[in-house]
Amino acid sequence: MAYLTQPDYVKYACSCGQIKPITSLYFCRHCLQIRCGFCICHEVDSHYCANCLENMPSSEARLKKNRCSSCFDCPSCFHTLSTRATLAQPRQTPEQGSGDSKVENKQAKKMYYLSCFNCRWTSRDVGIPDQPVASGGWPERVNPNATRINQLLDYYKAIAQQEKQEKLDRERKKFAIRGKYITLTDKTGLTGAMARNIAGLPSSESTMSAIANFVPSEASADVEELSEDFYTKELNLNQITSMPQRLAAPEWQPSSVSRLYPIAKLLSVKRSQRCRACDHNLTKPEYNPGSIKFKIELLAFYHVPEVKIISYEPMKPGCTSALLLKLTNPTGHEMQVRLLQPEEVPDTEDRLEEPKSLEKSLEKSLNLEKDNLWYETVQRKADVTATCRVVTPDVTLTLAQRDDAAEYDDDATHDANDIILWRKSNKLALRLQVRCGEEVEAGSAAEAALTLQYRYRNTVPAPHEPRDHTLHATLMLQLGHVSG
Amino acid sequence: MELQDTYYNKSEYVETASGNKVSRQTVLCGSQNIVLHGKVIVQSDAIIRGDLANVKTGRFCIISKGSVIRPPFKKFSKGVAFFPLQMGDHVFVGENTVVNAAVVGSYVYIGKNVVIGRRCVLKDCCMIEDNSVLPGETVVPSFARYSGSPARHITTLPEAMPDLMTEFTKSYYQHFVSITATG
Repeated sequence: MAYLTQPDYVKYACSCGQIKPITSLYFCRHCLQIRCGFCICHEVDSHYCANCLENMPSSEARLKKNRCSSCFDCPSCFHTLSTRATLAQPRQTPEQGSGDSKVENKQAKKMYYLSCFNCRWTSRDVGIPDQPVASGGWPERVNPNATRINQLLDYYKAIAQQEKQEKLDRERKKFAIRGKYITLTDKTGLTGAMARNIAGLPSSESTMSAIANFVPSEASADVEELSEDFYTKELNLNQITSMPQRLAAPEWQPSSVSRLYPIAKLLSVKRSQRCRACDHNLTKPEYNPGSIKFKIELLAFYHVPEVKIISYEPMKPGCTSALLLKLTNPTGHEMQVRLLQPEEVPDTEDRLEEPKSLEKSLEKSLNLEKDNLWYETVQRKADVTATCRVVTPDVTLTLAQRDDAAEYDDDATHDANDIILWRKSNKLALRLQVRCGEEVEAGSAAEAALTLQYRYRNTVPAPHEPRDHTLHATLMLQLGHVSG
Repeated sequence: MELQDTYYNKSEYVETASGNKVSRQTVLCGSQNIVLHGKVIVQSDAIIRGDLANVKTGRFCIISKGSVIRPPFKKFSKGVAFFPLQMGDHVFVGENTVVNAAVVGSYVYIGKNVVIGRRCVLKDCCMIEDNSVLPGETVVPSFARYSGSPARHITTLPEAMPDLMTEFTKSYYQHFVSITATG
């Protein structure tokens, strides 16, 4: 996304070994490390409806099954339904022929119905009566299997409680401290509810009775026979719902179009991110759903020098080509930058694992709770084998601090330098040479790896810690394809 | 890649004191109702229907070639009424796009060949991809990326979207340079 609509030509290596564009990376100011979505902790901040932009407390959201109470999606095309008003003449029955009631009846009443502006489906199509109020009040349908589901839920809750009780009894003495994190499931899901139940300590008799009274379902060999219509009647495909339409309402799974009912809109969430190593927030959005501001926003985009490709000559095997890069200093302090080869970076971490595939890394982040050491961050070196090699000049470049008023200044100054093309406030254009490997096949992707060594000033250092740090960021440049 | 310079013929464009660059080949109906807040580029063959209702744009908006900005109407029991169209700062409207929205927030990217239906509300920081159709009265929340017909929420945008859009529109404005008739 660094180029908005173009592919990401420049990608940065995260401390966990993933290679991602700078816009999807974070920078932990306390660990001084680049973090990405795979190696941080995602938390749900607040629930809101994407249509009416109303906040809903998480307890209420859980109660309403994470659905908005006033907005609906079209059951036919899944677009949001709009409320439309009509003036309805109350129906006159023959008995109301006398004078007074006639006058009263002439007063037209405003009635509302739901309509889809995309596929023209309306709530009248399926016979839902119009409502006298603009929002809310739509009939709620009861899940046909609600009682059975509740029975099952009670049963499994009872079993879970029993098991927990047994476990507690066994381990009362060596009660382990829970992890220092509130996980997503704790905050929103089953475990939180269970913890409350345990705190209340309901009598064990009630759980026993719930388990004893439970009737397991039995499979039956008798299957209702298909009606004759199924074979003889001509099928009108327009009356049959599609698979996505059925699955959008899993409780009912309507098979005919006449049984499509509005679907309550699913809520969206605002997320905040937390560094798994030091427990500090990386991003924290403002509570208001309409706001785009952040209380905390530690993005790599604001802390790590950004590299963009201006242009490059086509790569040829065994030849050197010119490459123009643009460096930007996003911080409010002057920055010294050196270009290095990725292998020149000193190993500061002794615990470095081999690069792993994306799938494995994802698997690890999904299986967090199974793993006791899940909060330990993974330090891994990124796999930066490249077909081309950037010739790194042995110079230190100084990038001025970011200055929002600088855009009103004069044009770029042209340094008479063979490396620096131009300078403009906190930006700098570089001319570099890229050497393509001899044995690289024509048509293969030309990639080059590069490491930036930069001086970073921590604006809020912990006591007894230096303000200035020398940090490294490794990046991959995509330089098109090797020509023959 | 960095943006390349886009050249325009100096005689074709009118530049105002506040930095607006408006092509002469546009249809600006009811120009007294159109407010461009500065550094706005309106390219050739664009249509802005100020005769229907007020049209207001923020700073650094780009209205590309052949796009139509048209205030939305609503049908009432007694005829129709047009509503003003407001656009925030740093908005990009792609080529051949029709915008019928009621509100377009700041830092919004609208691709090319898009139709934004009547009375849509596009919140700050959202993106509508190329060739999408947004049906009427849709609300696009912040940091959402919509695509398809009907346009659906496909993914979220990075947190740095305001800065990305600011940089994009500013550099577009800087790279939009004139050539004199001889050049």
